[in-house]
Formats: sequence, structure tokens, C-alpha cells
Amino acid sequence: MPTRIRLLNGAFALVEDPFTTVDDDTAIPPGDVIISLTRFQAEGERLLAECRKVGVRLESHEEVEALTYDLPRLAVVALVFPKFLDGRAYTYARLLRERFGFKGEVRAVGDVLREEAGYMLRCGFDAFVPADGSTPEDWDRATHRFRHVYQRSVDGRSPAYVERGE
Amino acid sequence: MRALTANRLTDGEVVFWKQGQWVERFADAELFAPDDAEAEAAEAHAKNQITLVVEPYLIDLMESEGLWAPVSYRERIRALGPTNLNHGKQEEGGAFVEALLHASGAARSKGRVDLIRRK
Amino acid sequence: MYQYDTLDKEFLADRSAEFRGQVARRLAGELNEDQFKRLRLMNGLYLQLHAYMLRVAIPYGSLNPTQLRKLAWIARTYDKGYGHFTTRTNLQLHWIKLADAPDIMDHLVSVDMHAIQTSGNCIRNVSADPYAGATAEEIDDPRVWAEAIRQWSTVHPEFTFLARKFKIAVTASPKDRTAAKTHDIGLHLKRARDGSLGFEVMVGGGLGRMPHIAPTIREFLPANRLLSYLEAILRIYNRQGRRDNIHKARIKIVVASLGVEEFARQVEAEWEKIGTAPDLPDTELARIRGAFAPKTFEILPAVSEALEAARAAEPAFARFARNNLKPHKQPGYGIVEVSLKAIGETPGDATSEQMEAVADLAERYGQNDIRVTHEQNLVLPHVKLDDAPAVWKALAAVGLATPNMNLVSDIIACPGLDYCALANARAISVAQNIAAKFADQDRAELVGELKIKISGCINACGHHHVGHIGILGVDKKGEEFYQLTLGGSGAEDAAVGQALGPALPYDRVAGAVDTLVDVYLRERKDGERFLDTFRRTGVAPFKEAVYADAN
Repeated sequence: MPTRIRLLNGAFALVEDPFTTVDDDTAIPPGDVIISLTRFQAEGERLLAECRKVGVRLESHEEVEALTYDLPRLAVVALVFPKFLDGRAYTYARLLRERFGFKGEVRAVGDVLREEAGYMLRCGFDAFVPADGSTPEDWDRATHRFRHVYQRSVDGRSPAYVERGE
Repeated sequence: MRALTANRLTDGEVVFWKQGQWVERFADAELFAPDDAEAEAAEAHAKNQITLVVEPYLIDLMESEGLWAPVSYRERIRALGPTNLNHGKQEEGGAFVEALLHASGAARSKGRVDLIRRK
Repeated sequence: MYQYDTLDKEFLADRSAEFRGQVARRLAGELNEDQFKRLRLMNGLYLQLHAYMLRVAIPYGSLNPTQLRKLAWIARTYDKGYGHFTTRTNLQLHWIKLADAPDIMDHLVSVDMHAIQTSGNCIRNVSADPYAGATAEEIDDPRVWAEAIRQWSTVHPEFTFLARKFKIAVTASPKDRTAAKTHDIGLHLKRARDGSLGFEVMVGGGLGRMPHIAPTIREFLPANRLLSYLEAILRIYNRQGRRDNIHKARIKIVVASLGVEEFARQVEAEWEKIGTAPDLPDTELARIRGAFAPKTFEILPAVSEALEAARAAEPAFARFARNNLKPHKQPGYGIVEVSLKAIGETPGDATSEQMEAVADLAERYGQNDIRVTHEQNLVLPHVKLDDAPAVWKALAAVGLATPNMNLVSDIIACPGLDYCALANARAISVAQNIAAKFADQDRAELVGELKIKISGCINACGHHHVGHIGILGVDKKGEEFYQLTLGGSGAEDAAVGQALGPALPYDRVAGAVDTLVDVYLRERKDGERFLDTFRRTGVAPFKEAVYADAN
């Protein structure tokens, strides 16, 4: 079974992925699935009625707002980094958490590299499918690299200006 | 003729291929005939030397004062150093440096075009 | 001046340690060049023609003597004994070895410096008025806000992988010394009738392939809401900036394609949703403001007898004072411009000895304060007029007293093809050739304010679009050619220059500038600058003269 790195209670672990990621041309297998936004819009209602967990894969050019209505029913939103340089998914992750209150898994897929671990964690990602063979230990190291941060974000870390006041 | 050039990984120094080695002086560079497939073979080999050099590529040369000079102006500056201060490779002087300094009629800038395409 | 506290220092130490690890992995072959390139670029380390280049960040162009001395020492120890100040008020070291870079970074950190975000598609080093805290024109100190932006933008979790680079400038004077309108965001601090501070927010300026002057999207933003508003703009940009075409990826294209009104509407809507969470609390703003508290100035007469005596005795000093000594808000003080444009030298370059001399002067006469300008000069912002003759003498001793501020030989030039891997043509030697034509200071002063800006490629690091005379190097079949533009301005009257005509070969550029100046001297009316005359006459007389020469 495929795996992904999961952040649970502040710790990174390599855990099995119960979801099958299904592309648009493949028949939907039984069990929990992650499908594209297009497919979700066509088949989402039916799949959710079948009492399975459903996740949506959002490409970087798609609007995260398209999911707002269905978010409470989604188990996973997988945000695609087509290239590490395409940083739109950072904004989507923040909006999912801060604006739309999404409590499910926000998963980073695509060109996902350990160097970006800190940014992803701060923006609210909690699951990662790395493209560079990195391990949970790598991710743990990468996210603890900086003792301080300068901005408020999803992770709740105190920014420097709050630390200074303490 | 052609030559194979790159920048050395550890310090960025401009280097030229010479029979499996990298040398700093353009005057010491190995020359390849335009149709010599050894040039491409050397380039392919160099591309695997990731702990030695960065972005190796072939440059075209032309005759100047009986010696060889890079065709493109950019490659001449790489082989000599910057023109505003005399503290690049040109500091050493010598016939090859003089030939490069005087080489005129810069024509095609194939060296740079290739490099940009590679990025 | 803002002092880094333990948090800032630890942050920089952590960043430097991360970089050291990345370099080690590259040298060991664990990372290939593609994987490493973006990591070194995030730390300002480029590979250029002859060596690595390290671009050191100088936030809002502000340095203390310890920092400048350290830069001089690094240049002498790890480079060839000089550095190049850029139009982003950074310092570039052009002969760096990769193996030395982690040590250099640690040395920078030891004086609260770094190279974070001096490259890459992130929020770049923020710039501010180099006269901040010294000019009577300003209504508040822009550095307070530039420092707030520095912190907010440092390793921002959401905005480090934007569609393209992103530059912000802050000014608080009607006279714009930051080229604010050529920035992705230009912020102009203003005071409302009720005394409250706010920003005019200009978005979508930029040079490069498609130059744009930034339109205003909001006339007055309450100052304490700055960061949430920036967050809204950056979020709109991160989502809508084009990622399919690098030449259309800057925010200026988003603003232009949506239209200013629609862009502004989207920003306001996003800003409302964001709320106040990103804004700094008043306590933190007060802390930062305290760091820039006005210097203690002596009570002095407005006219300095020592200065007037030196002016009368030394014509060379009188000339320096006329061109390089600017009014200060405090009677008896002046702002000293240190020209890095000596005739025949490389614009923006300073040797280690020169940097040390300026550091000494700042310590002895200048309240420990040094600024870098986007026009590639240095500034000693707080010098007693009584001390100006001594400062001049010391500057002259190290070749830094060229009295040419804003004159024709005060030329901006990028490193160009002599160093830069992106360049198409040289810029430095074109500047040198032009400056040589105006080595006669009497003639240069007769010509008056004339801003020449030279870029070696369309990326426009030399701001050519906004030069009164702009010069762009292009490659024509391997040869260096130059396109001239006239009538640009990067100041408060910002405008993009207009093409003069077909590109000229390298050896005709300086002569063409000479001709342009002759036309201006012939055509000008009372008190007109070159720019004013051009705006009145249009391009025709200039074009005719330059291309008549060609025939």
C-alpha cells in the first residue's frame, strides 16, 4: 500500500495511505478515493452517498472556492505542486484552514521537496507525498530549523513580535 | 574549431576541457574540429561530473592573428575576465591573451544562446 | 538605527546553518546543480561568468560602520578587494568561491547581515528613502515601515514562491528618491488632516520587458493596517500572477489586465476578509519606531562659518558642497552624498579601502549612519556643516569626492556583460566612455541634472526605461548594440522613456550622448532640465541630430 508522511500531534510519521488516487480516465475502485475537481463535480454526490471517504485533488490553477460548499463532507484536499516554484497551493492551504475552517487532511502532492517543509507546515498542510525520497526525520528536521518566525500563520506559532512581548 | 568550457563547482572559475582534465587557461584548451564527435562525447562525459563542474557546453572558435579565439564576445570575456578591470584571466598576459583582446568581428554568439536555452 | 535583538540574530544564525548544510550536500554530490541552484539563489548566491556572485542584502539601504567595515573585510578576504552597490541598494561580491560561501554567510550574520531573499520569486529587499531621518521634506520616518516590512516578508510562509520577484519601496517625501513608481508596490507615506498617518498605495510598476509606472490603487491606507493590506495584494498576486509566461509574470500584468479599478476592488475585498490579524500591534510599532528615534543634534547656527570659509578658500570644496551637500532638517547639519561615480571608474563599485574610509567618517562625523542609494551612491546623512570640509578632504583622499551628484557623469550602470550571465552587452564601459566626455566639471554643471541609466539586457537592472537618457544593451548577431530612450524618469514625475531610433553600435554611444546634450543646450529655456526640454520639444530635434551624425 502506498504511504505518505503524516503530521499527527506534532510528530511526523510514515503511514499507509488508505486513499486511492484515481485519474479521470480510470474506473473508480471500491474504498476511499481522491479524485479531480472535475470528477468530483460530476460524481461526488454519488460517491459520498456510497459511504466512503472522498478527497479532491486541486490543481494549482483551480479555485479553492469551488470546494467551499462540500468541504465538511471531504476527508482530504490534495493540493498539487506542479513544480516547487508554483506557490499557489500555499495560499489555498491557508484559505482552507483559516477562512473555510477545513478540519480534514490537507495533503501536498506533486513536486514536494523537504526544503519547503517549513512553508507547508506553516500554511496548514498536514500530509505530504515527497518527490525527493525524504523521510519523516528529514521533515521533522526541516520544520524545526528556525527557532523564530516573523508572521502569524496557520500553525499558531508566535511571531517574533509576540515573543518579544513575552 | 570548438572547445568545451564550464565553471568549476567549488569556486566558479572558468575552465576548459583538455583530454579529460579541466584547465584554467583558454590557451591550454583542447581544440575539436567542427565535425569531431569527440567534442560531444567529452561534453556528455562532463555533464556527469556534477561534483567538478557546472553547466559544461561547447563553444565555437575562429581564427585571430593565427591563434584561436571564441566567436562570441561573451566567451571572450569569460576567457579573459571583465573589461573594466584588469584582474581576470587577462592579468597573466601572453600571446593568447593578446590575440583574444584584439580579436575582432564578433559574429555569432552561439555559446550564450546555448547556455540560455539550457536554463 | 534598528538593532537586531536575540530573535533576529538567532533567526539569521539558523538560516546560515541551513545554508551551510545545503552547500555541503552540493559539494558532496548529494544535490545536483538543478536541485542546488534554487537553494543558493534563495541565499543570493549566483553563478556568473567568472565566479560565484553573492548579493548581500542591505535592508532599506541602511548600514552602520561595523557592517560596512565587515563588508570591506569580506571583500578583501574572500573577493578581489571591492564590491558593487546595486540599484536595489544591495552589495554584490563578484569573485566568490562556493566553498567559502558558508563562512562568508557566518561573517555577515556576525554583524546582523545576510543574503536572504536577494534573489528568487519572493519579496525582495525592501527599499526606502536614503535621506530618511535627515530630510526636512519627510512627514515621518519611512524606515519604521520598511523595517516592519522586512520582518513580515522574511521567509514568509505563503509568499516565497510567487509568480515572479516582488519589490517594495517606501518613501515619505514629495521628492521621490526610491523610484517608488517602478516598484511592484510603491508606498508613499502621507499625513491626513486629522494628523493620522497613511500610505498612498501604488501597485504594478516595474521595468523589464514591459515597463509600467505604478498606478495608485488606494489614496490613503491607515498606516497601522499596512501589513494586512500587503497580504491582500500579495495573495491576489500569488493566485493570479501568470505562471505560463515568465515575461508576463510580474504583478504589473495582473493590474494591467484586470484594470486598476477591478484590481483595487479585489484587493479591498480580500483585505476585508483578512481582517487585522497580520497587522503589527502598536507596542511592536512603537518598539521599531524607538529604534529610529531622532538623533541627538547639537543646537547650531544655520550657517556654518567654517564651511563658508572653506568654500571661499577652496574652489574644489565649493564645487563639492554645491553638488554633493544637501539640506538637512536640523540647522547646522547637512547630508553628504558620496559619489561612487568617479570619472573612469565602475559605477557603484567601492574598494575595501573606500568602504573603510566611509565607515570611519560615519563614525567620526556622521552619527554612525550610512545609506546606500538606488542610484548606486553612498550617503552620510548627518554631518555637521562645520565638519563638511574635513569629510570632503578625507573622501578626496580615497577618490570618493567626485562632485557630480545628479549630473551627467552620475550614471547608473548594471554589471552587464563584464560579469553577468544574463547580459547581452556591456554597461560599465559604456558608462565610463560617457563619463569621460564630461570629465570637465564646469561643462557637467552647465548641463545640470541629467540622469543616464544603462542596462546590459532587458531585465533592466540599470533602470534604463526611467533614465532621462536610457541606454539598453542588445545583441545583434554577437555584437553589442545599444538602444537609446529619452524622457524617462524614476522620480515623482515617473515616466517611461521614448525610443530615439535604431540601435547604435558600441563605439557610437558616448558620442551620441554628447550630441543629445548639445541639442539640449541649444534648445533649453530658462531653468529647464534636460528632461523638461525633452518633454517640451519631443524627440524630433534629438533624433535628427544623432542620426544626422550617422550619415
